[in-house]
Amino acid sequence: MGFMNFRLGHLLAGLGSVAALIAAFSAAGAAELPIRIGAPLPLTGALSPEGVKLQQGYELWKEAVNAAGGISVGAVKRPIEIVYYDYQSVTPKAVQLAEKLATDDKVDFMFSPFGSGASKAASTVSERYGIPTLAPTASSSEVYDQGYKNLFGTFTANDTLSEPMADIVKAKAPNVKRVAILARNDLYPLALGQEFERSSKKRGLEVVYFEKYAINTLDHASALTEIKAAKPDWIIATGYINDMILIRKQMADLGIKAQIVTMINAPAYQEFIDATGPLADNVTSATWWHPAVRYVSKDVFGSSVKYTEMFEKKYKVLPDFTNATGSSVGVVLQLSIERAGSIDRDKVREALVTGGFETFFGPISFNKAGQAVSYVPPVFQIQKGKPVVIYPDVIKGGDMALGVR
Amino acid sequence: MLYVQILINGILLGGLYACIAVGFSLVWGVLNVINILHGSFIVLGAYLAFFAYTQLGIHPYLFAPIAALVLFMLGYVVQLAIINRVLEAPVLVTMTTTFGLALLLDNLMLVVFQANFRKVSLKPSLGIIDFSDTFPALDLIVPVDRLASMLFALLFVGLLYWLLRHTVVGRAIVAVRMDRYAAMLMGVDTIKVFAVTFALGAALAGAAGALLSPIFPISPLAGTTYLGKAFVICVLGGLGSVSGALVGGLALGILESFGALFFGPEHSLTLSFTVLILLLIFRPNGIMGKRGFV
Repeated sequence: MGFMNFRLGHLLAGLGSVAALIAAFSAAGAAELPIRIGAPLPLTGALSPEGVKLQQGYELWKEAVNAAGGISVGAVKRPIEIVYYDYQSVTPKAVQLAEKLATDDKVDFMFSPFGSGASKAASTVSERYGIPTLAPTASSSEVYDQGYKNLFGTFTANDTLSEPMADIVKAKAPNVKRVAILARNDLYPLALGQEFERSSKKRGLEVVYFEKYAINTLDHASALTEIKAAKPDWIIATGYINDMILIRKQMADLGIKAQIVTMINAPAYQEFIDATGPLADNVTSATWWHPAVRYVSKDVFGSSVKYTEMFEKKYKVLPDFTNATGSSVGVVLQLSIERAGSIDRDKVREALVTGGFETFFGPISFNKAGQAVSYVPPVFQIQKGKPVVIYPDVIKGGDMALGVR
Repeated sequence: MLYVQILINGILLGGLYACIAVGFSLVWGVLNVINILHGSFIVLGAYLAFFAYTQLGIHPYLFAPIAALVLFMLGYVVQLAIINRVLEAPVLVTMTTTFGLALLLDNLMLVVFQANFRKVSLKPSLGIIDFSDTFPALDLIVPVDRLASMLFALLFVGLLYWLLRHTVVGRAIVAVRMDRYAAMLMGVDTIKVFAVTFALGAALAGAAGALLSPIFPISPLAGTTYLGKAFVICVLGGLGSVSGALVGGLALGILESFGALFFGPEHSLTLSFTVLILLLIFRPNGIMGKRGFV
């Protein structure tokens, strides 16, 4: 009898522990089933610096969320898994990989590839499969003009960079009358150059020079010689970092001086300051985000300041706008999933359309087309080798200095 | 005055172009190898100069001979170990081989140096010569670093010219360029000549990279742009001669500069390629093209 009791006791205890184990496993299973996000990135090739920066932004967000147990979906917390593919800076490959992410990997949501062109190309895939997709780096409004329901971008339109800049020039440099614009013949830089032309003309400034330069131009001396002859007060150059380094250097080579020199995008990157040295001084630029902004947020980071701290701790450098926008799409997706209380794509899409997300990147709401319209990108100037925000007033660290030589 | 300034810009740019192309032209002319690696060698030279300046404080102009020496050794090894094995194969095979090596080197540089754009920012900067300071009517400007880079580049090109004319190795290279088999019959060690020629081409690329480092941004994938220019210059000036590369480089520099002025900067390349096509139709050997080197 005692023997039987002993056996029975063991059996019961055994059964009990098995049941407990199963319960534990299934509970853990439900909690640990990750939300999967597809992210095609240009990790090699010409755009690899940007691709790597975006990935750093995604990873910081992912780590912060997973450290907190994951995204709250109703009552459970689910971790994040990001499925990366390298599209080698080749746009058609980005589209193929987006297709693979949708059909093969069956991801729940997607982040767009880099830049306006590739984002637009890949958005067709997300639309076909109805996958809500967040674009971190698509600013040209042409990206959002296809009536798609699944594309949401956190960059405001190009004219939000040119308009505040033109306002400041008008207010702080009333002597500026003549404007010269040199734009890279490429989707985003050219659209931006045209916005600057519009913003200048709107304010009665005379555009004395507007030319495009070809991609891979190795010499800007002729264009700059003409610009010099046109005697502009305000020189605007658009393009990417290698173009801007070369143009700034050749401006100095030709002894070009102007009251204001605006370059977009490069000055937001420390590399530009390193590569041009003292020539960077007093160059103005505008960007969607800057470590100097001061937003308090209801996301996993808490505020822009805390975001900057966390980024610096992990990567040992200050975050730039490309890093930050990488994290911003994560944060917006997270907030919309939490609001929807589900990862049902229709419900999440609905939450995205409603907008009103308070993030470290700024308040994010989208217009009908899906592009962010809810914050003012800061304008800044390199002063003594450091970027100083000069607009908007609430976050400004100094006033605009005139004179670039 | 605008035209004179554009001409000055064009000549300065052309001098730099000549220095990009001369090593490429030498290798193509003598070995009949279209060396796709050439652009990557220039970039490697630029990186070496960048680190020599930022880490050790060696001025890029002083560093140029060192970069040339390092690249000479690298070129010698690459030729003997790899390219020599396919030298007798059709030109497509040698081109593919150097293309593969260029991919390898580019990606290696991407991993080691990272994709960030860098540039040597000379402290203090060499500044500009502004003629209007002394002659107010003369509104002309010459950037000193471009001028210096061009002069040093011409010095290297002159050195190559002297080497080919007046040394035993140089004469052997010229002999091989004229007739490989006749040279062999005369007792020229062609394998060694090929290796030295390829190494010289690499050395010139290394020197060019160092001289260009204060002028153009440096990135691991910039090689293809330089290579494209070298190609055009060789066809423009005529293949395989020092004077051809010089004339081709200057012609391209001046063409691009005036092209940008007359047709807008987006079309300067169109103009130079139009001229290139016309030249290929009417003067396929290039402006200075003739058989025989130097």
